[in-house]
Amino acid sequence: MSEAHHNVIEVSNLSNRFGQFIVHDHLDLQVRKGEIIGVVGGSGSGKSVLMRSILALNKPSQGKINVLGFNALSHTAKERQFIEQNTGVLFQNGALFSSLSVLENVLVPLKEHSDLSEQLMTELAMVKIQLAGLAPEAALKLPAELSGGMRKRAGIARALALDPALLFLDEPTAGLDPISAAAFDQLILTIQKALHLTVFLITHDLDTLYTICDRVAVIADRKVLINAPIDEVAAFDHPWIREYFHGPRGRAAQAAQEKL
Amino acid sequence: MSSWLEVFEPKLSTDPEHLDCLVATGDWTFKNANVLLALLAKPYAKITIVDARSIHSLDATGSQLLLTLLKKSGLDESQLKVKSEHQALLSSVLAASNPLPKPIQRLPFFKRILESIGKWVVNGYQNTLILLSFLGQTLLCFISNAFRPSHWRVTSIVFHMQAVGLNAVPLVMLLSFMVGAVVAFLGATVLAEFGAEVWVVELVGVSFLREFGVLLTAILLAGRTASAFTAQIGSMKSGEELDAIKTMGLDPIELLVLPRIKALVLTMPLLSFLATMAGLLGGLAVCTITLDISPDMYFQRLNTELSPRHFWIGLSKAPIFAVVIGIIGCLEGFKVKNNAQSVGEHTTSSVVQSISLVILLDALAAMFYMELDL
Repeated sequence: MSEAHHNVIEVSNLSNRFGQFIVHDHLDLQVRKGEIIGVVGGSGSGKSVLMRSILALNKPSQGKINVLGFNALSHTAKERQFIEQNTGVLFQNGALFSSLSVLENVLVPLKEHSDLSEQLMTELAMVKIQLAGLAPEAALKLPAELSGGMRKRAGIARALALDPALLFLDEPTAGLDPISAAAFDQLILTIQKALHLTVFLITHDLDTLYTICDRVAVIADRKVLINAPIDEVAAFDHPWIREYFHGPRGRAAQAAQEKL
Repeated sequence: MSSWLEVFEPKLSTDPEHLDCLVATGDWTFKNANVLLALLAKPYAKITIVDARSIHSLDATGSQLLLTLLKKSGLDESQLKVKSEHQALLSSVLAASNPLPKPIQRLPFFKRILESIGKWVVNGYQNTLILLSFLGQTLLCFISNAFRPSHWRVTSIVFHMQAVGLNAVPLVMLLSFMVGAVVAFLGATVLAEFGAEVWVVELVGVSFLREFGVLLTAILLAGRTASAFTAQIGSMKSGEELDAIKTMGLDPIELLVLPRIKALVLTMPLLSFLATMAGLLGGLAVCTITLDISPDMYFQRLNTELSPRHFWIGLSKAPIFAVVIGIIGCLEGFKVKNNAQSVGEHTTSSVVQSISLVILLDALAAMFYMELDL
């Protein structure tokens, strides 16, 4: 098998501009099968736009995007459906359907994309809910009755509903307390190991980068500056990266990692 | 062909050398769930071991079905052999396969009906109390606000006057014109039997000056404005903007409710006046075109046969309807909870409540003025 087949996501020559404002300028990014890739960058550097482009929620001005070997920008129903059924997305605030219970939220993609019996679907949904670290009792609650951390877990459970090969996480630990954030990092790692997922993770959280990411891609100056294991990235010479990794927070996270 | 699409057909067969051993092969994944279910449904001879080491790829769904197979055959996890790379997944799924807890027992049918009637009555009572207390709060706020001109929020009032009043002018006038024409047509048809077509002028005049001008405006604004108020305040509530307003020491009623109600009270009489004029024009159009009543005669009859009190009686209701629409629209906004469905429910409820209350009050006013012989 050629090298290309091991890349779950291939972004090449991607440009995004909104009016006069250029977000991405000939950006390239490869994500390998089975890795957790952390995407970092300053606010407004275009991390979310990149994710939205890969998910075809945003039409890029120029460039090619391949997901799971398919052209993500194609409009043929079969290709889109294959990609959609094999990717799970956790949006920043969970994006749970607020009028449905957690269980019903997880059942939505199952009901839409399979013809299994109600009982089996409930069984599968319950597995996903508990894999995401929620108690079985939480299944009957409405999103409004859950804490922020639980809502994110419910979001992951829904993202995992169709057993996707590829999981997108948009700032999974933002807004969580440090203990929940650490637990969430471990959860992502456990699920990724157990289900052999490829994870595309947008984050600001240095601890997440040090703890769970195999590689880190830095977006700055409208490009991916470097996409490599964290030690190489930290050693890379660029003003933003220096400030990010060697500022007070960066040093603390690095020190914490070395103690482990 | 992409490697992502390769699928290995899952199989389940008895090992020819060990008849008590069931061998699972292929892809045990979500995409094959239906095939797997069919395999699981087949009867198998007495087995003591399930060998899943030859399974190519396994996901959470496949693991759950493997566990189902074990349970069905009366085996436990120690009698399942899997590849080492699948072990972690199986253990996670096993730990995560607690069933859904039983929901709370539902009441029998007739008790549930009784319960919902009871809830409906109590809700109605409580909502009336809430509406009255909100009206009281708003009035108190209005009085204290009246003495502080710096808190009148003129910009906000003018903005809402444009949104509520000016932008509604074309709609209100067009619909009133058409209703005026319809009333004239109906009147002409009925009155022709008595040879009294000319009384159509009085019919259109009285009905629009006294009732329809203001009532049509109120109904249109209840649909157009009450719903807008509810949605605006409701989405502010779910975005925690109302909490932000409170913590900054501002009063949401003074900041959000008063300007809206003032704008409605100021523009509603003007809109009603325009609606009345448009209705009279609609009547005029029908009279000139089909009834041979000339415009001169139409206006002359309006002047001589109708007393101005009809106009003032009609207009007197406009500010009251404005307050009703504004209060209900804003109050329903404050009741919105933090989910999408709630915004819809309360918007519906605000339109339904304000239209019904407007019509109810109009009926009461009609009886009141009749008793006064006005």
